[in-house]
Amino acid sequence: MHLGVVDYGASNIHSVARALQSLGSKVSIVDTPDKFKSIDKLVFPGQGSMGSCIKKLNEKEMINSLMDAIKSKPFLGICLGLQILFNSSEESKEKGLGVINESITKIKDVNNENIKIPHMGWNNVKIEKKHELFSGIEDKQFFYFVHSFVASSTETSITTTYYGEEFVSSLATENIFATQFHPEKSGKIGLKFLENFINWKI
Amino acid sequence: MSLAVRIIPCLDVRGGRVVKGINFKDIVDAGDPAEAAKRYDAEGADEICMLDIDASFEERSTTIETVKSIASQVFIPFTVGGGIKSLKDIDMLLKSGADKVSINTSAILNPDIIEEASKEYGAQCIVLAIDAKKDGEIWNVYTHGGKNKTELDAIEWAKKGQDLGAGEILMTSMDKDGTKSGFDNNLYLELSNNLSIPVIASGGAGELSHLVDAVKIGKADALLAASIFHYEEISIKKVKQALQTEGFEVRL
Repeated sequence: MHLGVVDYGASNIHSVARALQSLGSKVSIVDTPDKFKSIDKLVFPGQGSMGSCIKKLNEKEMINSLMDAIKSKPFLGICLGLQILFNSSEESKEKGLGVINESITKIKDVNNENIKIPHMGWNNVKIEKKHELFSGIEDKQFFYFVHSFVASSTETSITTTYYGEEFVSSLATENIFATQFHPEKSGKIGLKFLENFINWKI
Repeated sequence: MSLAVRIIPCLDVRGGRVVKGINFKDIVDAGDPAEAAKRYDAEGADEICMLDIDASFEERSTTIETVKSIASQVFIPFTVGGGIKSLKDIDMLLKSGADKVSINTSAILNPDIIEEASKEYGAQCIVLAIDAKKDGEIWNVYTHGGKNKTELDAIEWAKKGQDLGAGEILMTSMDKDGTKSGFDNNLYLELSNNLSIPVIASGGAGELSHLVDAVKIGKADALLAASIFHYEEISIKKVKQALQTEGFEVRL
Protein backbone atom coordinates (compact mmCIF):
# COMPACT_ATOMS: atom_id res chain seq x y z
CA MET A 1 0.00 0.00 0.00
CA HIS A 2 1.47 3.26 -1.16
CA LEU A 3 -0.08 6.38 0.36
CA GLY A 4 0.30 9.86 -1.04
CA VAL A 5 0.04 12.95 1.12
CA VAL A 6 -0.72 16.07 -0.91
CA ASP A 7 1.56 19.03 -0.26
CA TYR A 8 0.37 22.18 -1.99
CA GLY A 9 2.82 24.34 -0.11
CA ALA A 10 0.87 25.86 2.77
CA SER A 11 -0.08 23.03 5.00
CA ASN A 12 1.65 21.18 7.80
CA ILE A 13 1.62 17.78 6.15
CA HIS A 14 4.36 16.28 8.28
CA SER A 15 2.22 15.20 11.21
CA VAL A 16 -0.13 13.32 8.89
CA ALA A 17 2.79 11.67 7.10
CA ARG A 18 4.40 10.71 10.43
CA ALA A 19 1.18 9.23 11.80
CA LEU A 20 0.69 7.11 8.64
CA GLN A 21 4.32 6.01 8.74
CA SER A 22 3.98 4.99 12.38
CA LEU A 23 1.27 2.57 11.20
CA GLY A 24 3.74 0.96 8.83
CA SER A 25 2.63 2.58 5.58
CA LYS A 26 4.82 3.69 2.73
CA VAL A 27 4.15 7.40 2.42
CA SER A 28 5.14 9.73 -0.41
CA ILE A 29 4.66 13.46 -0.61
CA VAL A 30 2.64 14.47 -3.66
CA ASP A 31 3.73 17.97 -4.63
CA THR A 32 3.71 17.83 -8.44
CA PRO A 33 0.97 16.69 -10.87
CA ASP A 34 2.91 13.61 -12.04
CA LYS A 35 3.26 12.17 -8.55
CA PHE A 36 -0.46 11.32 -8.24
CA LYS A 37 -0.13 8.37 -10.64
CA SER A 38 2.08 6.04 -8.61
CA ILE A 39 0.10 6.15 -5.37
CA ASP A 40 -2.75 3.84 -4.27
CA LYS A 41 -4.54 6.12 -1.83
CA LEU A 42 -4.52 9.83 -1.32
CA VAL A 43 -4.60 11.93 1.84
CA PHE A 44 -5.25 15.65 1.59
CA PRO A 45 -4.48 17.50 4.82
CA GLY A 46 -5.16 21.19 4.65
CA GLN A 47 -5.02 24.30 6.71
CA GLY A 48 -5.58 27.97 6.01
CA SER A 49 -8.32 29.30 3.76
CA MET A 50 -10.04 27.62 0.83
CA GLY A 51 -9.07 30.51 -1.43
CA SER A 52 -5.34 30.31 -0.80
CA CYS A 53 -5.43 26.53 -1.07
CA ILE A 54 -7.16 26.55 -4.48
CA LYS A 55 -4.80 29.31 -5.68
CA LYS A 56 -1.73 27.32 -4.66
CA LEU A 57 -3.08 24.14 -6.28
CA ASN A 58 -3.60 26.15 -9.47
CA GLU A 59 -0.10 27.63 -9.32
CA LYS A 60 1.33 24.13 -9.05
CA GLU A 61 -1.00 22.94 -11.83
CA MET A 62 -2.23 20.18 -9.53
CA ILE A 63 -6.00 20.70 -9.79
CA ASN A 64 -6.64 18.33 -12.71
CA SER A 65 -4.54 15.47 -11.35
CA LEU A 66 -6.10 15.98 -7.93
CA MET A 67 -9.60 15.78 -9.42
CA ASP A 68 -8.66 12.61 -11.34
CA ALA A 69 -7.35 11.03 -8.15
CA ILE A 70 -10.46 12.07 -6.19
CA LYS A 71 -12.59 10.33 -8.80
CA SER A 72 -10.57 7.13 -8.89
CA LYS A 73 -8.64 6.43 -5.66
CA PRO A 74 -9.56 6.10 -2.00
CA PHE A 75 -9.34 9.66 -0.78
CA LEU A 76 -9.14 11.11 2.72
CA GLY A 77 -9.58 14.86 3.14
CA ILE A 78 -8.65 16.33 6.52
CA CYS A 79 -9.90 19.68 7.84
CA LEU A 80 -9.53 22.08 4.88
CA GLY A 81 -9.28 18.85 2.87
CA LEU A 82 -12.97 18.33 3.71
CA GLN A 83 -13.93 21.92 2.99
CA ILE A 84 -12.36 22.21 -0.47
CA LEU A 85 -14.61 19.35 -1.65
CA PHE A 86 -17.54 21.75 -1.41
CA ASN A 87 -18.77 24.30 -3.95
CA SER A 88 -17.87 27.39 -2.00
CA SER A 89 -17.02 28.82 1.40
CA GLU A 90 -17.98 32.03 3.19
CA GLU A 91 -14.27 32.33 3.89
CA SER A 92 -13.15 32.93 0.29
CA LYS A 93 -14.49 34.12 -3.01
CA GLU A 94 -12.64 31.35 -4.87
CA LYS A 95 -14.79 28.33 -5.65
CA GLY A 96 -14.04 24.91 -4.14
CA LEU A 97 -13.68 21.66 -6.07
CA GLY A 98 -17.45 21.20 -6.23
CA VAL A 99 -17.45 17.48 -5.48
CA ILE A 100 -20.17 18.13 -2.91
CA ASN A 101 -22.84 20.50 -4.09
CA GLU A 102 -23.14 22.55 -0.91
CA SER A 103 -21.29 25.35 0.83
CA ILE A 104 -19.12 25.93 3.89
CA THR A 105 -20.17 28.53 6.43
CA LYS A 106 -18.71 30.22 9.50
CA ILE A 107 -19.49 28.43 12.79
CA LYS A 108 -22.76 29.83 14.19
CA ASP A 109 -23.42 30.31 17.90
CA VAL A 110 -27.09 29.32 17.60
CA ASN A 111 -27.74 29.09 21.34
CA ASN A 112 -25.72 32.21 22.28
CA GLU A 113 -23.22 30.23 24.32
CA ASN A 114 -20.51 32.81 23.77
CA ILE A 115 -18.28 30.24 22.10
CA LYS A 116 -14.69 30.97 21.18
CA ILE A 117 -13.72 30.84 17.50
CA PRO A 118 -11.71 28.94 16.26
CA HIS A 119 -13.18 25.74 17.60
CA MET A 120 -9.95 24.37 19.00
CA GLY A 121 -9.62 21.32 21.19
CA TRP A 122 -11.14 17.91 21.84
CA ASN A 123 -14.79 17.37 21.07
CA ASN A 124 -17.25 14.49 20.74
CA VAL A 125 -17.88 12.80 17.44
CA LYS A 126 -21.36 11.32 17.14
CA ILE A 127 -21.69 8.49 14.67
CA GLU A 128 -24.85 9.01 12.59
CA LYS A 129 -24.23 6.38 9.93
CA LYS A 130 -22.14 3.23 10.03
CA HIS A 131 -18.94 3.35 8.03
CA GLU A 132 -15.86 1.13 7.71
CA LEU A 133 -13.57 3.97 8.74
CA PHE A 134 -15.23 4.03 12.15
CA SER A 135 -15.07 0.30 12.68
CA GLY A 136 -13.72 -0.45 16.14
CA ILE A 137 -14.37 3.14 17.23
CA GLU A 138 -17.15 3.70 19.71
CA ASP A 139 -19.79 6.40 19.43
CA LYS A 140 -19.08 9.82 21.00
CA GLN A 141 -15.31 9.52 21.18
CA PHE A 142 -13.16 12.63 21.39
CA PHE A 143 -11.26 13.87 18.35
CA TYR A 144 -9.10 16.97 17.98
CA PHE A 145 -10.45 19.98 16.07
CA VAL A 146 -8.99 23.31 14.89
CA HIS A 147 -11.26 25.30 12.53
CA SER A 148 -13.56 28.28 12.18
CA PHE A 149 -15.74 27.17 9.26
CA VAL A 150 -18.04 24.16 8.92
CA ALA A 151 -20.33 22.17 6.72
CA SER A 152 -23.67 22.63 8.45
CA SER A 153 -25.48 19.82 6.74
CA THR A 154 -24.92 17.37 3.96
CA GLU A 155 -26.61 14.15 2.93
CA THR A 156 -23.21 12.48 2.92
CA SER A 157 -22.65 13.11 6.64
CA ILE A 158 -21.24 10.17 8.63
CA THR A 159 -20.65 11.88 11.98
CA THR A 160 -21.76 15.14 13.55
CA THR A 161 -20.30 17.27 16.33
CA TYR A 162 -21.79 20.08 18.34
CA TYR A 163 -19.99 23.38 18.81
CA GLY A 164 -22.22 26.42 18.61
CA GLU A 165 -24.25 24.41 16.13
CA GLU A 166 -24.41 20.83 14.99
CA PHE A 167 -22.01 20.40 12.09
CA VAL A 168 -20.64 17.66 9.86
CA SER A 169 -17.50 16.28 11.50
CA SER A 170 -17.03 13.65 8.79
CA LEU A 171 -18.65 12.63 5.53
CA ALA A 172 -18.36 9.95 2.90
CA THR A 173 -19.36 9.45 -0.68
CA GLU A 174 -18.16 6.41 -2.62
CA ASN A 175 -14.33 6.44 -2.55
CA ILE A 176 -14.17 9.77 -0.71
CA PHE A 177 -14.00 10.21 3.04
CA ALA A 178 -13.37 13.54 4.72
CA THR A 179 -13.04 14.69 8.30
CA GLN A 180 -13.25 18.10 9.92
CA PHE A 181 -11.24 16.73 12.85
CA HIS A 182 -7.55 15.86 12.76
CA PRO A 183 -7.14 12.08 13.12
CA GLU A 184 -3.36 12.54 13.09
CA LYS A 185 -3.66 14.58 16.32
CA SER A 186 -6.38 12.54 18.00
CA GLY A 187 -4.19 10.06 19.85
CA LYS A 188 -4.91 6.34 19.82
CA ILE A 189 -8.43 6.69 18.40
CA GLY A 190 -7.16 8.91 15.60
CA LEU A 191 -4.54 6.30 14.72
CA LYS A 192 -7.24 3.61 14.70
CA PHE A 193 -9.21 5.74 12.24
CA LEU A 194 -6.15 6.17 9.98
CA GLU A 195 -5.48 2.45 10.17
CA ASN A 196 -9.05 1.87 9.00
CA PHE A 197 -8.37 4.18 6.05
CA ILE A 198 -5.19 2.26 5.18
CA ASN A 199 -7.20 -0.99 5.25
CA TRP A 200 -10.24 0.48 3.50
CA LYS A 201 -11.33 -1.55 0.47
CA ILE A 202 -13.71 -0.01 -2.01
CA MET B 1 -21.64 19.62 25.14
CA SER B 2 -18.59 21.82 25.24
CA LEU B 3 -14.90 21.41 24.65
CA ALA B 4 -13.02 19.16 27.02
CA VAL B 5 -10.80 20.78 29.64
CA ARG B 6 -7.29 20.00 28.44
CA ILE B 7 -4.67 18.42 30.66
CA ILE B 8 -1.20 19.25 29.41
CA PRO B 9 1.87 17.62 30.94
CA CYS B 10 4.88 19.79 30.42
CA LEU B 11 8.38 18.57 29.77
CA ASP B 12 10.93 21.10 30.93
CA VAL B 13 13.91 20.18 28.82
CA ARG B 14 17.54 21.17 29.06
CA GLY B 15 20.20 19.68 26.82
CA GLY B 16 17.84 16.98 25.55
CA ARG B 17 16.82 15.77 29.04
CA VAL B 18 13.72 16.41 31.11
CA VAL B 19 14.51 18.50 34.17
CA LYS B 20 12.50 20.07 36.94
CA GLY B 21 13.33 22.80 39.42
CA ILE B 22 11.61 24.69 42.21
CA ASN B 23 10.85 28.36 41.64
CA PHE B 24 12.88 28.16 38.43
CA LYS B 25 15.99 27.06 40.39
CA ASP B 26 17.62 23.86 41.72
CA ILE B 27 17.30 21.85 38.51
CA VAL B 28 17.31 18.03 38.68
CA ASP B 29 17.38 15.43 35.89
CA ALA B 30 14.09 13.64 35.24
CA GLY B 31 14.54 11.46 32.16
CA ASP B 32 14.20 11.12 28.39
CA PRO B 33 11.69 13.53 26.78
CA ALA B 34 10.32 11.19 24.07
CA GLU B 35 9.80 8.36 26.56
CA ALA B 36 8.00 10.72 28.93
CA ALA B 37 5.85 12.11 26.09
CA LYS B 38 4.86 8.60 25.01
CA ARG B 39 3.90 7.68 28.52
CA TYR B 40 1.75 10.82 28.87
CA ASP B 41 0.03 10.11 25.57
CA ALA B 42 -0.80 6.59 26.76
CA GLU B 43 -2.08 7.97 30.07
CA GLY B 44 -4.52 10.31 28.35
CA ALA B 45 -2.72 13.65 28.03
CA ASP B 46 -4.65 16.00 25.75
CA GLU B 47 -1.53 17.79 24.56
CA ILE B 48 2.18 17.68 25.20
CA CYS B 49 4.19 20.78 25.92
CA MET B 50 7.96 20.95 25.80
CA LEU B 51 9.79 23.98 27.10
CA ASP B 52 13.49 24.32 26.53
CA ILE B 53 14.06 26.13 29.79
CA ASP B 54 17.54 27.42 29.13
CA ALA B 55 17.15 28.32 25.49
CA SER B 56 16.42 32.01 25.88
CA PHE B 57 18.90 32.45 28.72
CA GLU B 58 21.88 30.89 27.07
CA GLU B 59 20.88 32.25 23.67
CA ARG B 60 20.67 28.90 22.01
CA SER B 61 17.84 27.52 19.95
CA THR B 62 15.54 24.73 21.04
CA THR B 63 16.71 21.19 20.54
CA ILE B 64 15.30 20.25 17.15
CA GLU B 65 16.25 16.61 17.56
CA THR B 66 14.16 16.28 20.71
CA VAL B 67 11.19 17.85 18.92
CA LYS B 68 11.53 15.41 16.02
CA SER B 69 11.88 12.47 18.34
CA ILE B 70 8.71 13.37 20.28
CA ALA B 71 6.71 14.22 17.13
CA SER B 72 7.47 10.89 15.50
CA GLN B 73 6.10 8.96 18.46
CA VAL B 74 3.27 11.02 19.88
CA PHE B 75 0.09 11.85 17.94
CA ILE B 76 -1.62 14.52 19.99
CA PRO B 77 -1.10 18.30 19.75
CA PHE B 78 2.46 19.24 20.62
CA THR B 79 3.60 22.68 21.73
CA VAL B 80 7.25 23.71 21.82
CA GLY B 81 8.72 26.76 23.51
CA GLY B 82 12.04 28.22 24.56
CA GLY B 83 14.44 30.46 22.75
CA ILE B 84 12.18 31.26 19.78
CA LYS B 85 13.33 34.54 18.28
CA SER B 86 12.22 34.66 14.67
CA LEU B 87 9.77 33.38 12.10
CA LYS B 88 12.61 31.18 10.91
CA ASP B 89 12.78 29.50 14.33
CA ILE B 90 9.02 28.98 14.27
CA ASP B 91 9.13 27.57 10.76
CA MET B 92 11.86 25.13 11.74
CA LEU B 93 9.96 23.95 14.84
CA LEU B 94 6.70 23.49 12.94
CA LYS B 95 8.53 21.57 10.23
CA SER B 96 10.20 19.42 12.88
CA GLY B 97 6.82 18.35 14.21
CA ALA B 98 5.55 21.00 16.61
CA ASP B 99 1.88 21.93 16.15
CA LYS B 100 2.14 25.11 18.17
CA VAL B 101 4.97 27.28 19.39
CA SER B 102 5.06 29.09 22.66
CA ILE B 103 6.80 32.46 22.66
CA ASN B 104 7.85 34.25 25.82
CA THR B 105 10.87 36.57 26.10
CA SER B 106 11.19 37.45 22.43
CA ALA B 107 7.54 38.55 22.26
CA ILE B 108 8.33 41.15 24.92
CA LEU B 109 11.49 42.30 23.18
CA ASN B 110 9.73 42.28 19.81
CA PRO B 111 5.89 42.10 19.96
CA ASP B 112 5.73 42.09 16.14
CA ILE B 113 6.79 38.44 16.17
CA ILE B 114 3.36 37.45 17.55
CA GLU B 115 1.54 39.44 14.88
CA GLU B 116 3.72 38.21 12.03
CA ALA B 117 3.70 34.58 13.16
CA SER B 118 -0.06 34.63 13.65
CA LYS B 119 -0.58 35.98 10.12
CA GLU B 120 1.82 33.48 8.62
CA TYR B 121 0.86 30.30 10.47
CA GLY B 122 -2.53 31.07 12.01
CA ALA B 123 -3.45 32.11 15.54
CA GLN B 124 -4.12 28.48 16.49
CA CYS B 125 -0.41 27.69 16.53
CA ILE B 126 0.84 30.76 18.40
CA VAL B 127 0.87 30.54 22.20
CA LEU B 128 1.98 33.57 24.18
CA ALA B 129 3.75 32.32 27.31
CA ILE B 130 4.03 34.69 30.25
CA ASP B 131 5.96 34.27 33.51
CA ALA B 132 4.37 36.45 36.17
CA LYS B 133 5.02 37.30 39.80
CA LYS B 134 2.72 39.15 42.16
CA ASP B 135 3.94 42.58 43.20
CA GLY B 136 1.44 44.42 45.39
CA GLU B 137 -1.81 44.64 43.46
CA ILE B 138 -0.50 43.57 40.09
CA TRP B 139 1.37 40.72 38.48
CA ASN B 140 4.68 41.69 36.90
CA VAL B 141 5.98 40.00 33.78
CA TYR B 142 9.47 38.44 33.90
CA THR B 143 11.66 37.45 30.96
CA HIS B 144 14.52 35.02 30.32
CA GLY B 145 13.04 32.13 32.26
CA GLY B 146 12.03 34.28 35.22
CA LYS B 147 15.38 36.00 35.62
CA ASN B 148 14.63 39.56 34.52
CA LYS B 149 11.81 41.72 35.82
CA THR B 150 9.95 43.97 33.40
CA GLU B 151 7.53 46.82 34.06
CA LEU B 152 4.77 45.02 32.17
CA ASP B 153 1.49 44.16 33.88
CA ALA B 154 0.74 40.50 33.09
CA ILE B 155 -3.00 41.01 32.45
CA GLU B 156 -2.37 43.97 30.14
CA TRP B 157 0.36 42.10 28.32
CA ALA B 158 -1.91 39.09 27.81
CA LYS B 159 -4.61 41.37 26.37
CA LYS B 160 -2.07 42.95 24.04
CA GLY B 161 -0.93 39.46 23.01
CA GLN B 162 -4.49 38.52 22.15
CA ASP B 163 -4.84 41.68 20.04
CA LEU B 164 -1.57 40.89 18.27
CA GLY B 165 -2.93 37.49 17.27
CA ALA B 166 -1.91 34.97 19.93
CA GLY B 167 -4.27 31.98 19.94
CA GLU B 168 -3.75 31.06 23.59
CA ILE B 169 -2.12 32.41 26.73
CA LEU B 170 0.10 30.13 28.81
CA MET B 171 0.45 31.89 32.14
CA THR B 172 2.95 30.62 34.70
CA SER B 173 2.76 31.94 38.21
CA MET B 174 6.36 32.21 39.41
CA ASP B 175 5.16 32.52 43.00
CA LYS B 176 3.48 29.14 42.71
CA ASP B 177 5.68 27.24 40.25
CA GLY B 178 7.21 24.17 41.88
CA THR B 179 5.69 24.89 45.29
CA LYS B 180 2.78 22.41 45.01
CA SER B 181 0.65 24.83 46.99
CA GLY B 182 -2.12 25.32 44.41
CA PHE B 183 -2.58 27.53 41.36
CA ASP B 184 -2.79 31.31 41.59
CA ASN B 185 -6.53 31.26 40.88
CA ASN B 186 -6.93 35.03 41.25
CA LEU B 187 -4.50 35.49 38.39
CA TYR B 188 -6.36 33.05 36.14
CA LEU B 189 -9.78 34.40 36.95
CA GLU B 190 -8.59 37.93 36.19
CA LEU B 191 -7.10 36.67 32.97
CA SER B 192 -10.15 34.66 31.90
CA ASN B 193 -12.41 37.63 32.56
CA ASN B 194 -10.24 39.81 30.34
CA LEU B 195 -9.61 37.48 27.41
CA SER B 196 -11.58 35.72 24.73
CA ILE B 197 -8.81 33.25 23.87
CA PRO B 198 -8.10 30.12 25.95
CA VAL B 199 -6.02 30.40 29.11
CA ILE B 200 -3.61 27.65 30.13
CA ALA B 201 -2.84 27.73 33.85
CA SER B 202 0.61 26.67 34.99
CA GLY B 203 2.47 26.56 38.28
CA GLY B 204 1.55 25.23 41.67
CA ALA B 205 -0.22 21.92 41.10
CA GLY B 206 0.35 19.65 44.09
CA GLU B 207 -2.98 18.01 44.87
CA LEU B 208 -6.02 16.95 42.89
CA SER B 209 -8.12 19.75 44.36
CA HIS B 210 -5.62 22.34 43.09
CA LEU B 211 -6.24 21.30 39.51
CA VAL B 212 -10.00 21.22 39.91
CA ASP B 213 -9.97 24.67 41.56
CA ALA B 214 -7.97 26.21 38.73
CA VAL B 215 -10.85 25.31 36.39
CA LYS B 216 -13.67 25.91 38.86
CA ILE B 217 -12.40 29.11 40.46
CA GLY B 218 -9.74 30.29 38.01
CA LYS B 219 -11.87 29.39 34.95
CA ALA B 220 -8.80 28.03 33.17
CA ASP B 221 -9.43 26.29 29.83
CA ALA B 222 -6.42 24.03 30.20
CA LEU B 223 -4.06 22.94 32.96
CA LEU B 224 -0.35 22.52 32.55
CA ALA B 225 1.83 20.75 35.08
CA ALA B 226 5.23 19.09 35.11
CA SER B 227 6.40 17.40 38.27
CA ILE B 228 3.15 15.94 39.59
CA PHE B 229 2.70 14.03 36.37
CA HIS B 230 6.34 13.29 35.91
CA TYR B 231 6.81 11.71 39.29
CA GLU B 232 3.40 10.03 39.03
CA GLU B 233 2.15 11.77 42.15
CA ILE B 234 -1.20 12.34 40.47
CA SER B 235 -2.32 10.55 37.33
CA ILE B 236 -3.85 12.42 34.39
CA LYS B 237 -6.83 10.09 34.61
CA LYS B 238 -7.47 10.98 38.25
CA VAL B 239 -7.45 14.68 37.39
CA LYS B 240 -9.97 14.10 34.61
CA GLN B 241 -12.21 11.99 36.82
CA ALA B 242 -12.18 14.69 39.48
CA LEU B 243 -13.08 17.33 36.88
CA GLN B 244 -15.84 15.13 35.51
CA THR B 245 -17.31 14.71 39.00
CA GLU B 246 -17.50 18.50 39.17
CA GLY B 247 -19.45 18.56 35.94
CA PHE B 248 -16.67 19.56 33.54
CA GLU B 249 -16.30 17.95 30.14
CA VAL B 250 -13.15 15.82 29.89
CA ARG B 251 -11.77 13.33 27.41
CA LEU B 252 -11.61 10.02 29.25
